[in-house]
Amino acid sequence: MLAPTQNLVVELRGVAFSYGDKRVLNGVDLEISYGEAIAIMGRSGAGKTTILKIIAGLLKPEKGVIRILGCDPSNKCFDSVRGRIAYIPQTLGLVEGGSAIYNVLLARAYEKPLRFITGIWGKEYISKALEALEAVGLLEKARVRVERLSGGERQRVAIARAIFQGAPVILADEPVSNLDLETARDVVELLTGLRKRGATIVAVMHDRDLAQRHFDRVYILEGGVLRVLS
Amino acid sequence: MRIIVAFLIPTAILAYILGLIDPGLWAKAGLNISRFIPLLGVRNDLWGDALTAVYETLIISVFGVSSGVLIAYLLAPLASPLLAPRTIAIAGRILANSARTVPAILWAILFVILVGPGAKAGALALAIYTSTYLAKFFYEALESVDRELLDSLKAMGLRGYTLAFALYTHIRRQIISSVLFMLEYNVRTASILGFVGAGGVGYYILQYLDILDYQAALTFVIAAIAIVAAIDTTSYTLRTRI
Repeated sequence: MLAPTQNLVVELRGVAFSYGDKRVLNGVDLEISYGEAIAIMGRSGAGKTTILKIIAGLLKPEKGVIRILGCDPSNKCFDSVRGRIAYIPQTLGLVEGGSAIYNVLLARAYEKPLRFITGIWGKEYISKALEALEAVGLLEKARVRVERLSGGERQRVAIARAIFQGAPVILADEPVSNLDLETARDVVELLTGLRKRGATIVAVMHDRDLAQRHFDRVYILEGGVLRVLS
Repeated sequence: MRIIVAFLIPTAILAYILGLIDPGLWAKAGLNISRFIPLLGVRNDLWGDALTAVYETLIISVFGVSSGVLIAYLLAPLASPLLAPRTIAIAGRILANSARTVPAILWAILFVILVGPGAKAGALALAIYTSTYLAKFFYEALESVDRELLDSLKAMGLRGYTLAFALYTHIRRQIISSVLFMLEYNVRTASILGFVGAGGVGYYILQYLDILDYQAALTFVIAAIAIVAAIDTTSYTLRTRI
C-alpha cells in the first residue's frame, strides 16, 4: 500500500455544493487520518454521495478547502493522486462482460494502459490480482464474468480491485445495500479490515448498527453539515 | 384509424403529383409484364459465375465491416465529449456525421475514380461508409453507460482510450449487434455497388441487362437474393442470442 505523505488523508473545510438552486452541502468539515474508517449516514438526497464524489475529485465544490492526500483536486498535483483513490459506487462500477480478474486488473489500467488494451499483463500483475481475489475469498471465481456473480460476490470483486489498486483512500457508497444481513456484515468486515493494509475508508451507510460496530467514527449529514453521531 | 387517414391523405396527393393515378400507366405496365414474363428463366451454365460474383460481394461486405469496425473503434471515443476534450469531440462528431450523409454508392463512384473499377473500389467504399455508421452507433452506446460506472473508472484515473476500451467491454452486446446489423446492410448494398463498377454481383446483373439477356441477369439476381437472405437469417439468429 502507498502511504500518504501526511497524516491527514482527507481534509474538508467549509465545503459547500449545490445542484442548481438546491444547496445540499453547506459548510462540511471533515478530517480523516491515515488508517481510519469513517461512516456517513443521512437521509436519501442529503448529499452523502456528493461528499464521496468531491473527495474523489469528480465534483468541484462551490467553496471550501479540500485536500486529499495533501493535494487540492483542482490543482495539477491531483493528477498523481488519481489512481490512488478507489471509488466504489452503489452500482459498484464493475465492467460487465469482464471477468472478476479483468475488473481487478482494471485498477492498474491508469498506469499501464498498453498492458490493459492488449490484455498482456504478465505474470507479476496476474499473480497480484489473484492474491487480491484470494483475500476476498473469490480465487476460484477469478475467470467468471461479474454479471454471473451474486451481489455479495460482486461487492467482493470491487473490494479486491481496491486492494489490488493499493489505494490509500477507499470511498464506498452504500456498500451493503441490497445484501442480506450476514453477507452485509462480511462485506463491511472485509472493507474496514483494509485499514490493516493502510487504507483510509469513507463509506456511506444506512445500517446504524453495522456502522457503529465496524467504523471508527460515524457521522450524520443533516442540513448540509456533518456532525459526529458516535 | 386516425393514423391510416393521416397517411392516406398525403399518399394520395403525392401519388397524383407523381402521375401514379393514371389508368393508362397501369395498362401499359400490365402489357409490359405480359411481354416480360416469357423472357424470364435461369441459365444453368452461369451458376458457377454467379457463385464467384456472390463470393466477391461477400468479400467486399466483410472487408467493409471489419475495416469499418477498426476505424469506428478508434473514431468513436474522439467523437464523444465524455471521453475526448470538447473541441475534439465536436470536430470528430461533425466529421463522422457529415461523412455519413454521403451514400455508399457515391463513395463507390469516388473510389472507382481513385483506384479504378472492381472489388477494390467497392471494398473501400463500404469501409468508409461502415466506419461512419458504426462510429455513431459506438459513441451513442458509450454515452449510454451508467454514470456511476463512468465515475468509478474516472476516479481510478482512466482517461481517453483506456477508459473507452473498458467501456467497450461493458457495451459489447450493443457493439456485436451493431456490427451484425452493418454486415446485413453491407451485403445488400454491395449487391448494387457493381452498378457503378465497384465489383460484386451487381456488375454482372447490369452487364446482362444491357445486352437484354434477362435469363442470365435473373440467375445472378437469384444468387444475390440467396446470399442476402442467408446473411440476414444468420445475423438475426445471432443478434437474438446475444
